[in-house]
Amino acid sequence: MTELERALVSLGHELEIPEAPDVAAVVRARLEPRRGRRTIRAPRRLAVAVALVLLAALLATLAIPDARSAFFRALHIGGASIELVDELPEVPAEPDLELTLGQRVTLAEARGEAGFDVLRLDDQPDAVYLGHRGTVWLLHGTPARPRLLLAQTPFHSVDQELLLKKLTAPGTQVEPVAVDGARGVFLSGDPHFLLLLDELGNPVEDSARLAGNVLLWSHDGVAYRLEGGFDRERALELAQSLR
Amino acid sequence: MEGRPPDDVALAERARNGDERAFEELVRSHQRIVFRTAYLLTGSAADAEDAVQAGLVKAWRALPRFRPGSPFRPWLLRIVANEAHNRRRSEGRAEALRLRSGRGLPGDAAPSPEGAVLSLERREELLAAVGRLEERDREIVTCRYFLELSEDETATVLGIRRGTVKSRTARALARLREAVET
Repeated sequence: MTELERALVSLGHELEIPEAPDVAAVVRARLEPRRGRRTIRAPRRLAVAVALVLLAALLATLAIPDARSAFFRALHIGGASIELVDELPEVPAEPDLELTLGQRVTLAEARGEAGFDVLRLDDQPDAVYLGHRGTVWLLHGTPARPRLLLAQTPFHSVDQELLLKKLTAPGTQVEPVAVDGARGVFLSGDPHFLLLLDELGNPVEDSARLAGNVLLWSHDGVAYRLEGGFDRERALELAQSLR
Repeated sequence: MEGRPPDDVALAERARNGDERAFEELVRSHQRIVFRTAYLLTGSAADAEDAVQAGLVKAWRALPRFRPGSPFRPWLLRIVANEAHNRRRSEGRAEALRLRSGRGLPGDAAPSPEGAVLSLERREELLAAVGRLEERDREIVTCRYFLELSEDETATVLGIRRGTVKSRTARALARLREAVET
């Protein structure tokens, strides 16, 4: 440790910081008992059949390279992995969106930090966050009532660096789409499960949540993910309006 | 992970399973550093206390997604730091940090032994220089030196890579060195 670093540690000991209030009892009084957790279930045999049919359609349509195993059930696109599963994992009934999004910043700060061109819709976002893996999140609405959510994540190698994982149940439709010529998918119907992965590929603890309709695509080294209560046409319209 | 009491893992696991008493114990054992973190990021005791309470309630809700066995302290600090950060942005006010020693008061206010490396005047200069750093650099200094978190903990708390912690630390130190040497 250098002299400057020792001086900084020393300063930390000398800072005028008020005594920490004892909040343990107050906080405990505010805790809600763990609420019921929901899972989306489907009859297993039917789920597997639907998943395989859907997978076959995807492989044919998107000309995915050879399946890596006989039981290949994942589609990789734009830094995301979409996996077809029989049953979604459990998540709390009301996950806290801000925990997923990260630190709140201004759009200018996000643009300064991102290292890529951060795009936005015609409407100004209500809030901007900087999250894991350099993801810039543009939120329209509030964390409690989001209307639209746009995530932009830089990636270098789709196959090696999965940014997020989506697990879809049989009730989720996965349609191949093109966004300005870039390959993408539109997920709609039953919610799907979104899991963010950190730099080492480990799940980020507080990022799991159920997402609504989502358009997912990548362009020029950036993975885009647009989420909202829209249909496919509206989602594509919004994606093409990004500037 | 350094600074982590050995029973954190067991308490966190009980809390994860819905044991409110275990969570209360965890809060009690970490509330000092949790409050210091929030205070240093907001610059206001009232905002810090609000951020701490809101952050702890959020942590309780997020516990089912906490990875069993992983370090609890940085996970908790990250949630509270996010609250503090967002609160500071929305409130837009923060008081400058001050030295407890004020203007050379004797007794308890005497600098710690390692503080003797700089005179009071130089320490106040250094603190002012920290206050002038860009927010991201100031947060790194706060975590690494004022809160004495490890590089790994700092990375978790600020949600950045360990390499970024290293590079920002080096940049912040270079700027501070420049500020106090001129």
